[in-house]
Amino acid sequence: MLPLYGGSLPIGRYCASALRQLGHLVEVFEAPDFYPSYKALQGLKVGTDRLQYLENSYLQVLSQAVLSKVETFEPDLVLAQAQAPLSIQALKRLKRDGVATAMWFVEDFRLFTYWKGFAPHYDIFAVIQREPFLEELKDIGVSNALYLPLAAHPEVHKPLELSAAERRRFGSDVSFMGAGYANRRVAFRELIRHDFKLWGTDWDGDTVLAPFVQMGGARMSSEDCVRIFNATRVNINLHSSVQAKELVTNGDFMNPRTFEIAACRAFQLVDRRGLMPAAFAEDDLATFASMEELQDKIRHYLEHGEEREAIAARGQARVLREHTYAARMQTLLDFTAQRLPGWPRPRARAQAAEGLTPELAADIEVLLDRLALPADTSFEDLVWSIRQQQGRLGELEAAVLFLDEWRKLYNKREG
Amino acid sequence: MSQQLVIQLARFGDLVQTKRLLLSLCAEPGSEVHLCLDESLAPLARLLYPLVHLHPVCAHGTALARLPAEEQARILLAKNVPAFRELADIPFERIYNLNFSPLNYRVAGLFEPQRVLGHVWSKGQEIVGQWARLAMRWSSMRRIGLNIADFWAWHHVSPVDSAEVNPPALGRGGGLGVVMAGRESRRSLPPKVLASLVTALLDLRGDESLTLLGSRAEHHAARQLERELPGRHARVLRNLCGATNWSGLVETVGGLDLVLTPDTGTMHLAAHLGVPVLATFLSSAWCFETGPYGQGHMVLQANLDCTPCLESQPCTSQVACLRPFGESGLLRYLSTREEGHLPDGLTAFNSDTDALGQTFAPLAGPDPQADLRVSFREFLAAHLGLAGQGRASSVLHELAERLYTERDWQAPDRESSQGRWGQTFGGF
Repeated sequence: MLPLYGGSLPIGRYCASALRQLGHLVEVFEAPDFYPSYKALQGLKVGTDRLQYLENSYLQVLSQAVLSKVETFEPDLVLAQAQAPLSIQALKRLKRDGVATAMWFVEDFRLFTYWKGFAPHYDIFAVIQREPFLEELKDIGVSNALYLPLAAHPEVHKPLELSAAERRRFGSDVSFMGAGYANRRVAFRELIRHDFKLWGTDWDGDTVLAPFVQMGGARMSSEDCVRIFNATRVNINLHSSVQAKELVTNGDFMNPRTFEIAACRAFQLVDRRGLMPAAFAEDDLATFASMEELQDKIRHYLEHGEEREAIAARGQARVLREHTYAARMQTLLDFTAQRLPGWPRPRARAQAAEGLTPELAADIEVLLDRLALPADTSFEDLVWSIRQQQGRLGELEAAVLFLDEWRKLYNKREG
Repeated sequence: MSQQLVIQLARFGDLVQTKRLLLSLCAEPGSEVHLCLDESLAPLARLLYPLVHLHPVCAHGTALARLPAEEQARILLAKNVPAFRELADIPFERIYNLNFSPLNYRVAGLFEPQRVLGHVWSKGQEIVGQWARLAMRWSSMRRIGLNIADFWAWHHVSPVDSAEVNPPALGRGGGLGVVMAGRESRRSLPPKVLASLVTALLDLRGDESLTLLGSRAEHHAARQLERELPGRHARVLRNLCGATNWSGLVETVGGLDLVLTPDTGTMHLAAHLGVPVLATFLSSAWCFETGPYGQGHMVLQANLDCTPCLESQPCTSQVACLRPFGESGLLRYLSTREEGHLPDGLTAFNSDTDALGQTFAPLAGPDPQADLRVSFREFLAAHLGLAGQGRASSVLHELAERLYTERDWQAPDRESSQGRWGQTFGGF
């Protein structure tokens, strides 16, 4: 279940893709499709009571849509992200129906405090911070909390061969890609002496930085972010803070960029984080703990390309080995299986091509291949994969769906 | 040349009742009409619709259902994949997908959704068209009803005149035919009740031939009927239950003088051939929904407070609607046609047609919904653009409020009253 809107939207898509890589059948609830209608309510110019009523009602409709989808798809697990439109009432209904739910809360618990009202309603609550968050979750009755740091998705975050034009457009000695949080706005004034580019949103209103903001401060696609990481000599990765008193906050969790830049075998200077030592060795990443150290290291690494490459290579190897979304999803599923007795419920599943004539079995294998499904895919999973296709059905696809419905009709009657 | 496809995956009777739509499509200049149907009905369809191109698929399968799952998959895929390929390769201009069935939706998936009418498959979602949604709502008002042949035909913008669908009923000299049972057992008369009716009809008409029709499953009931009949009639009886193929059935029914039948496929076949029908409608059967199509047929309609019921639900009244069919008054009514003899709980209707389609006019017995039915037909005629907007009346207003929903009014739909004519909101 994707969130309605927000920076963590790509993470939801990476999770779906990673689960598919692991051989699972994934149906995505495309909450962003509903966001324009939700926003349109705010254009009504009505009383705040009415607006709140309408917004809540609309979110309830979305929850109902999720429940309908669950009823049809019968998933083993509903995985949601913060801001995914799933009401407490809907979560209770899923619990009653024995459908496991998990939330991967990829936000800072100190800033995004609403978890207190929702976390106990999920069977599994995965977070990107450790203590005191895990203890606080325990205090409110969340017994299945899991520390699950962010990651990279190597299908997307990878080294690229860029054209000269792309290098000119996306490249610079030093750059930052991200939102204009208070600490960054102050910190980056010290970087403008370099060949510096600033990418991402929320940089408006800053006259010093304005000349360095690229693309008018537009939101960048994941693909363009990867181009920027690849084209930049020194990617600055300063974790965000809503205050500007301390520019380098030495906080705990690692942001997605830490993993993404590394996965691209690009070089980054990242501020040290409390949870970093458990994820990376000292020489996997180049880090800084103050603005002075940042300035020094920028100068150093701009002059030492071979050191940049060596660190970037180690960082990439570490991410590919341990910090992919596929690895995270496997951890989440293993944890779920360990904590929820009898999960996942066993299903009687026959392989899609079982018992068919050699010609039909070969056709089914071609179809499985086209749908990027493994050869041992069950009939039920094949049916769902076909339903996820857009456009007209092919004759074999239609015949498989027809067979599925035929069995439901006649086996019910005979049974 | 335009190619049109009708998907009709239901049973014998439904295939016959698709006639008005098929004729309407055939009447379009330069059209080539195709029909996707269950393979078991293809030989019959060839006889009924010789101008229509058939695409048989394996859809029915009570016998197949007893096979192991792997065997089912092998058979269904081996038969349906080539049939679906053939369908997908034809550039159909329109596809009329008639049945509210998951099987139909999957076949519709072979085509661009914007070409499909009725039951549409779009990006993995089943969608019911506006005309079918409207029908689902009026079906909840069971006593009004539109003949299903007309409901299907009106997916077309201007179907052929209802009076031209079937020839007027005329006896052929082959005596009385009796259909032993339909698929729904509660709709059929038991052999003892049927025997009195058959005896009265034979005595009244002086028929010298009696033909029993039905499937192999009805053979036993036919033997029971034979035992109940007086010797003079039993001697002229031919029991053809389970003994005819489709062409044999068409030939036999086509030669009869009168067919006595519950609501069955054979009843629709007789109407198709212009052979007079005397139909017994009870339980869930309601002649305004599925009565014999054309002019000159008669229906004895059970008319209790609980009729028409839902066949899927158990009867809590010991099938009270069967009782009047066993009363002697019915035999006297059939002999004299004097209304006073018709037992309570029955209405005799005569079939007729109007601009909308099939109608039934009362010959004897109560018809308390007659006025409401007229209003309903006016409402539908206006909806379909047949005649003005009907008389302004509180009944029409009430029907509009009951049958039109917010979605009809608010969301564009290709099958809406204006969408039928290619118009959208504000499409001046």
